[in-house]
Amino acid sequence: MSEAAIQTLDISPVGRVEGDLDVRVDVQDGVVTNAWTQAELFRGFEVILRDKDPQAGLVVTPRACGICGASHLTCAAWALDTAWATEVPPNAILARNLGQITESIQSLPRHHYGLFMIDYTHKNYSGSPFYEEAVKRWAPFTGTNYELGVTISGRPVEIYALLGGQWPHSSYMVPGGVMCAPTLTDVTRAWSILEHFRRNWMEPVWYGCSLERYEEIKSYDDFLAWLDERPEHANSDLGLFWRMSHDIGLDKYGAGLGKYVSWGYLPSEERYNKPTIEGRNAAVIMKSGVYDGKSDTHKTMDQVFTREDVKHAWYDEPGGLHPFDRTTNPVQKNTIDPDGKYSWATAVRHAENGRLEAGPLSRQLIAGGSHGESWQHTDPLILDMYRRMGGPSVLLRHFARMHEGAKLYREAERCLREFKLNDPWYIKPTEKDGRGWGATEAIRGALCHWIEVEGGKIKNYQIIAPTTWNVGPRAADEERGPIEEALIGTPIADAHDPVEVGHVCRSYDSCLVCTVHAHDARTGEELARFRTA
Amino acid sequence: MANLLWLQGGACSGNTMSFLNAEEPSACDLVTDFGINVLWHPSLGLELGENLRRMLDAIVSGEIAMDIFVFEGTVVNAPNGTGEWNRFCGRPMKDWVADLAKVATFTVAVGDCATWGGIPATAPNPSESEGLQFLKREHGGFLGKDYTSKAGLPVINIPGCPAHPDWITQIVVAVATGRGGDLTLDEFQRPKTFFTSFTQTGCTRNMHFAYKVSATEFGQRKGCLFYDLGCRGPMTHSPCNRILWNRVSSKTRAGMPCLGCTEPEFPFFDLEPGTVFKTQTVMGAPKDMPTGVDKAGYIKLTAAAKAASPAWAEEDLFVV
Repeated sequence: MSEAAIQTLDISPVGRVEGDLDVRVDVQDGVVTNAWTQAELFRGFEVILRDKDPQAGLVVTPRACGICGASHLTCAAWALDTAWATEVPPNAILARNLGQITESIQSLPRHHYGLFMIDYTHKNYSGSPFYEEAVKRWAPFTGTNYELGVTISGRPVEIYALLGGQWPHSSYMVPGGVMCAPTLTDVTRAWSILEHFRRNWMEPVWYGCSLERYEEIKSYDDFLAWLDERPEHANSDLGLFWRMSHDIGLDKYGAGLGKYVSWGYLPSEERYNKPTIEGRNAAVIMKSGVYDGKSDTHKTMDQVFTREDVKHAWYDEPGGLHPFDRTTNPVQKNTIDPDGKYSWATAVRHAENGRLEAGPLSRQLIAGGSHGESWQHTDPLILDMYRRMGGPSVLLRHFARMHEGAKLYREAERCLREFKLNDPWYIKPTEKDGRGWGATEAIRGALCHWIEVEGGKIKNYQIIAPTTWNVGPRAADEERGPIEEALIGTPIADAHDPVEVGHVCRSYDSCLVCTVHAHDARTGEELARFRTA
Repeated sequence: MANLLWLQGGACSGNTMSFLNAEEPSACDLVTDFGINVLWHPSLGLELGENLRRMLDAIVSGEIAMDIFVFEGTVVNAPNGTGEWNRFCGRPMKDWVADLAKVATFTVAVGDCATWGGIPATAPNPSESEGLQFLKREHGGFLGKDYTSKAGLPVINIPGCPAHPDWITQIVVAVATGRGGDLTLDEFQRPKTFFTSFTQTGCTRNMHFAYKVSATEFGQRKGCLFYDLGCRGPMTHSPCNRILWNRVSSKTRAGMPCLGCTEPEFPFFDLEPGTVFKTQTVMGAPKDMPTGVDKAGYIKLTAAAKAASPAWAEEDLFVV
């Protein structure tokens, strides 16, 4: 058999990944054999933050990403809390957690319909027995579930607005607590909004069953039994997604690196009232971790292991530094060179484990581990599926996201139950110099901010977004980034319309507006790492 | 039927996210009820790569008519005016904007970045960003002060960080239903119907403002945010307390000071140390007065307010 010619596709942009992503793939015999993900926008937020008011990050960083602004705000607030050694009252921790959760719940239907399921209506799949139904419910703007889902996605963030005045782009989380002091009517309205979201979409449309029934699923076998139990289950969005994904082969590709990271999230309102960088792992409800699929081992994640390589990123500086030590210098001429530099995103890695994937799949695989504190949340389902189904895929990555929705919903309910309305929401802190770190899990993965305050102003502000983890270029040792690796082996039916590349990229829900790192080459000042295109 | 193209430059997608919160009409209603044909949108569009490029070329050549060109995000000029730090569909985004603005019937800048440059244009403006027709308060911007779209209007500026979804959808509906000619714009090319009243208009803390009862720190159940916490509600033009956010509230109602984000100077004072969430004062009086009030008037007003302030005004008002 003669060797087929390698065809190189430059796809600019991939689109519907929230922000613009450029991807280069080599295709041979209709299969991707190599890939490069390119981040092409640079805005320079870290440069903007330098020498500014210590609290400037509360205003600026939610605006780094309008999609996960509450997550940025969460990180910015906790970073200052640790730097200033504040005391944060339980109500404020709950109010921050609730805000962050409502943003994540909002993103479930918005990503599912607006970004991901649309691809199931692609002409490539017109031969699938599920195609007609897919078009009926998931066609953009006019699909029955598309229209319902996109419209109802605006409801959860009404709760965010009750706390912070508006979503996106509030700054209501501040060191020492929150700005708001909700009343009983805010809490009862928030309950009603949650109920509406559940009764009109989450149960009848998405899961096809009550949350209580869905929550009984603890293993792969439980899930398969649930799928067969009633037609409402098989025909729900989850059921149809599962069945059609198998039919069109999405269980067969998009695996990626098989190594995962989570910072953990949702600090306990009883355990993180005097926040420190070191104390966070033992204080979060959803535990942090690193999961290595090959050795099937879990361990706790710590920010001290974070490293950033720039061999293939448009920076001229030493690679392999911890974010506190970076002095970012962008190259002035950002020419794309697949053998050299080709992205504004740095290659983030763990000092011991190398490149790691971030996102809902990572969180759920880590939730399956026995590491961490005995009181922390655990959940065996996705890890069981991972083992039984032979590892990750586009299918499992999106399924993990759908699965997590029920748990986020319950955590939102818990916040509403635990508010003690007559207790404090804010304890005024004393401003001082110091180093801080704030982290969380945005819906699309691990997010954190490092801050150094010196002389009453910001000396250094650094952000690593989930998309920085996922969309980064090759590391110094040439290990591919998670999406680059996940693209290898992807079948391409039509090189002029490579929807399969879209499936893989969109399963990561990349949010490229927050991935670029840059610096001003003329002045040598550090710019930032934000968007790519 | 009106063809709409929406692109993002140096953007965070916040205006898109805000737009998707819309109801009456929702984003889907715009398509199904008002005949808005979304040619492409970064979060919603179907085409990718080569196919999008073909569509954009057809728009630029006039083969596909573009009735409404919506731009979100800054125009990135770095490095050195080349725009290479923000490439899209194979070339600098700024080159696409230049070509597309020429063939647009209406050009709409959505959000602070596209109107005035917003956060990315904050000193030292590392990405050399500017808005479509302004850079902060300075008229001109990327398209130049003489630019008009084919309908004869300058760029329609819908500022805010982000813009409220209703501000966006109502302008789009106005254009789609042939009422584009009824739009009247202020000196910053903002639709007057939205940006003549103040953020303070309709604020639930107006009685506290009137009696000079201050919220001295966050998390309190009474008080105006203007006197100590840096609220810009009295000097910012927006309908935030007339057309509520996410249908339920506004920042000032929830206890967050207005940041003045519909004005060209946002973020104010370039976020210099000491300026965030703190009222700037000169000799004990606010540096920035409520619009149209002078210092002598302010002193008289607040003295009278204090003297007249009833006892209940010092008690919690927004109680559990």
